[in-house]
Amino acid sequence: MLHVQNRELVMPGQLLAEGGYIINEGAFREGGRVYASVVGLADIHGQKIRVIPLRGRYIPKHGDIVIGVVIDTHYSGWILDLNSPYVGNLFVSDLLRRKVDLVREDIGQYLGIGDVVVAKIKDVNELMRVQLEAGEPSMGRVAGGKLVEVVPTKVPRIIGRKGSMLNVLQSVGGCRLTVGQNGRVMIWGDDPRRVNAVIEALLMIEREAHTSGLTDRVRLMLEKVKSEGGE
Amino acid sequence: MEKPEKLIVDGKRLDGRAPDELRPLKIQAGVLKRADGSAYVELGKNKVLAAVYGPREMHPRHHQQPDTAVLRCRYNMAPFSVEERKRPGPDRRSVEISKVAREALEPVVFLELYPRSAIDIFIEILQADAGTRTTGITAASVALADAGVPMRDLVSAVAVGKVDDTIVLDLTKEEDQWGTTDMPIALMPRKKLITLLQMDGHFTHEEFKRALALAFNGCEQIYEAQKRALREKYSVKPEEE
Repeated sequence: MLHVQNRELVMPGQLLAEGGYIINEGAFREGGRVYASVVGLADIHGQKIRVIPLRGRYIPKHGDIVIGVVIDTHYSGWILDLNSPYVGNLFVSDLLRRKVDLVREDIGQYLGIGDVVVAKIKDVNELMRVQLEAGEPSMGRVAGGKLVEVVPTKVPRIIGRKGSMLNVLQSVGGCRLTVGQNGRVMIWGDDPRRVNAVIEALLMIEREAHTSGLTDRVRLMLEKVKSEGGE
Repeated sequence: MEKPEKLIVDGKRLDGRAPDELRPLKIQAGVLKRADGSAYVELGKNKVLAAVYGPREMHPRHHQQPDTAVLRCRYNMAPFSVEERKRPGPDRRSVEISKVAREALEPVVFLELYPRSAIDIFIEILQADAGTRTTGITAASVALADAGVPMRDLVSAVAVGKVDDTIVLDLTKEEDQWGTTDMPIALMPRKKLITLLQMDGHFTHEEFKRALALAFNGCEQIYEAQKRALREKYSVKPEEE
């Protein structure tokens, strides 16, 4: 039996449902009852129940694409800051996708401290030690562009349903974007005005993530900048 | 201030409240920009600010727990929070309150979800008028929820006591000073689990039961105000333009 409506704002400890629901995230079970554990929006899909969090830190998850910043190097790789309580570890072999003779090769030529890297989370163990890989063509060190940080819980809104919001940002905004699940977004574009417009749009999405018709408002805003561009 | 002859006149207290009445309560969530979560609480003349940072990487590293997060709590009184200037910095009293506040909040937080990390809570008393530890816990619990930390429930806290042989809720400084008993209580309201209970003074068995019932009632009111504050911050705002 459900005690909340879909998309209702719930508080920690609020009773969501009774019975055999499957909990996705943001909730917990106690004596056959399901309670919310965070402030968020209840999202019910059949027997699946979850609370979409509105705030919170990024917690690394297997398979996520993230944008990290190199904070340290070690003998065979780098430590990356992931905008999270946990740092990521990237080995040279996971960056170059080949065996590396560490005696003959200086790995400093591939990455240095302060470099921004697009990577995928290869593995997270129970101690939350994070292994990264960056072998795919779209990954690795980032050159140029702008880096923007948003609240990680708003990332799904920036991507939109089936990437709709991201499509608008890229096509109407005239920029190329890479969105990391950890709340970092890379933007590349030729026109600095349009890049700034996309940044504005990202901040607007962050502010108004819970409102409807946001994609259209973002499109409108970017189109305005686009049409002004010729002057 | 001199001790007044009577603290309760015709069933009314010095500030005009009934014995089972709370002081005016105001709670605001998310008041600090740089903190992950924050809350500001006013309970009568008490003014308390709470901030939460984390879960974040634990420093120093040797304090890390491999299987769980560590909750750290600092209760601090501003030098100007009391009538006579308080010497700044931790003292015996605030170290104790930091510890009991942490222990009052620990049972609600799902610490096991964030191994090796730390969650920091800062409770700053800007103005004190008795019951700052309970007000601080109330504020800290709203700040934790505002930070998006997974919790089993909120924690609501209030003090009860005995003044002029009457059991009263939410003591003021005068009542605390001249009254006979002061008992702060923190509660997980959903399951009515007590996470903090201290007592200064005496209660008979009967009085204790009545005081506890009064505190449960007060916590219930505070609980509703806490939820209202969070709703206010997160509910869908009317669209701009």
